Amino acid sequence: MIRTERLTVHGIDLEVFRSGEGDPIVLLHGMRSFSPGSRFPALLAPLGSVVAPSLPGFGGTPRPKDFDTIFDVVHLVRAVLDSVPGAAVTLVGLSFGGWLAAEVAAAGHPRLARLVLVDPVGIKIGDRQTADILDVFNRHPNEVRAAEYHDPDRFAPDFDAMEDVEIIRYARDRDALCLYTWHPYMYNPQLPRWLPRIAVPTLLVWGGNDGIVTPAYGRTFAALIPGAQFSVLPNAGHHPDIEQPEALAGLIATFLEG
Amino acid sequence: MQLWFHNENTYPFVPREVLDAADSVRASLPGHLLDPKIAADLFHECMDESLLCDDVGINIVSVEHHSGINSLYGASPIVLGALARQTRNVRVLSQGTLISLRQDPVRVAEEYATADVLLRGRLDIGFVKSGDSEMASNNANPVGNLERFWEAIDLITAALKNQDGPMRWEGKHFSHRHINLWPRPYQQPHPPMWGATGDPDTSRELGLRGMVNSVVLRGIDGTKRAWGAYRAARSEAGLPEPALDRFAYAAFIYVGDTDEEGIEVGSKLLWFLNTSLKQAPQFSKFLPGRMPAEMAPQVYRTKPRPGETRAARPADGLIGMTAEQAIQRQIMFAGNPDTVFKQIMAAYETLGGFGHLIFIGRSGYLTHREAEKGIKMLAKEVLPRVREATRER
Repeated sequence: MIRTERLTVHGIDLEVFRSGEGDPIVLLHGMRSFSPGSRFPALLAPLGSVVAPSLPGFGGTPRPKDFDTIFDVVHLVRAVLDSVPGAAVTLVGLSFGGWLAAEVAAAGHPRLARLVLVDPVGIKIGDRQTADILDVFNRHPNEVRAAEYHDPDRFAPDFDAMEDVEIIRYARDRDALCLYTWHPYMYNPQLPRWLPRIAVPTLLVWGGNDGIVTPAYGRTFAALIPGAQFSVLPNAGHHPDIEQPEALAGLIATFLEG
Repeated sequence: MQLWFHNENTYPFVPREVLDAADSVRASLPGHLLDPKIAADLFHECMDESLLCDDVGINIVSVEHHSGINSLYGASPIVLGALARQTRNVRVLSQGTLISLRQDPVRVAEEYATADVLLRGRLDIGFVKSGDSEMASNNANPVGNLERFWEAIDLITAALKNQDGPMRWEGKHFSHRHINLWPRPYQQPHPPMWGATGDPDTSRELGLRGMVNSVVLRGIDGTKRAWGAYRAARSEAGLPEPALDRFAYAAFIYVGDTDEEGIEVGSKLLWFLNTSLKQAPQFSKFLPGRMPAEMAPQVYRTKPRPGETRAARPADGLIGMTAEQAIQRQIMFAGNPDTVFKQIMAAYETLGGFGHLIFIGRSGYLTHREAEKGIKMLAKEVLPRVREATRER
């Protein structure tokens, strides 16, 4: 089980999900925030003290006035790292959160000890007329759904079955994601230049059937980070934390032990 | 009462089966489906209809929509420029360049100042919030659109008013180091400004600013809500009551010799509602920022839960409408001159009056010849009676 709490960082009120004890693990959600029922943060509990904030605008975290750029979010993540107790912080970022984690790691943080990126977005590698990252705001929802999940019928959201509070969370997540990532769509043109500065042990995990960002994109991403490990998780799309949570937690556990 | 001709220059000549199969008739239809020769004919026909209006004393609205069968007027300032040179008499309302989609409002101000000079002061400037598929067509973030809208209006207004050499703008969404329009606008301090909205919150802001509030195809109830908010905002702020020239009502209008002709031809205008509004879900119900997240359950679910009301964009309520329904909802006035006069006056009385009536006089398969007849009939047989009946107001 995870606990839902509030955390104030740099004057910003955050919804956070917590589990476990020990060395801090900061877990950044992807395109969708975690919810009180999310399994993945609980599965990391044996590895340390997990704190998973809902970023401003996502989930149950309000977005302060004029907090509206990726720059704001990256600085906030740095402030979250500053705020957690313990000397060595593991930063785990999923998808959009993987982009944020890569930005923070490239800039450097004195207490950052390990980095885990799961299907991150954030860089542009292909030609000018090819999207590296499927445009979730511009493509038909059915196409996005098929690309997003290995098994969409089992894991994709079913709005008819969801409670109001869950649908509202989903809509808030989508609005916030759009605000931060509309242009350029989900990437920072400068980030590839700085990824080689990442100086902590890094693991990249990729859903084998991710149709939002492909494993080939992931290999290119990993090659830019010195010494990064790269693992592909079969039977998972863009959200291994949803489709293969135990396997993903297992890979992270092995990485942290190493 | 001022009368305004509104024509979106629609392109209906895409096979029905293509439109039925497409998930969106805006933004995404391939360009090969458009014949540029037909488009050229349409542009010239529509321009001629505007010139006819210029002859018979009907003002002209110049609109902007993007990449769809609903309108070929994406490059709105070009069309405005042509109207500015070719008309001689009436006012031209650009309603409008979609400012929250444009990267540089200063350039928009420059276009408007130029058009106003070319028109020798016959320009009105209307602002439209835009939304839906136009966010994709113009690469504009749908979240924050309203904030950009108002900052762009502030910047355009400041740029048009500025006569004191280079000025600077360092706002949240726009920054510019050297704003200095040549020519400055013909009208001082700037052309009259309008905003098209049925959203009460936006109407409130229009009221506080004293801008004209045009309401397009929202019917009586939606219009009452908007104008009520406009008046309330002014009253609460201690501002004088607005004159009727602050309000514009827009509807489909077709005047024939007989009721039968008016309704038969006027029904063709409803193509706009029944065919040209279809947009893919990513541009409509799932477009971020379009409505508060709290409304998402009513919008996202395919089946409403017991007791749950559905929330939809205003346009969704217009799809599939018959002429009778459109007339009953007072978004269409059609029939012989006497019938149309009475329909207009009924709406006028119900709404407590308005200073401007915008009429959509051509759309879909309604022909150039039919459009010209409707314009002439309205100008000759109806407009004088409406003016006489509303003169004291």
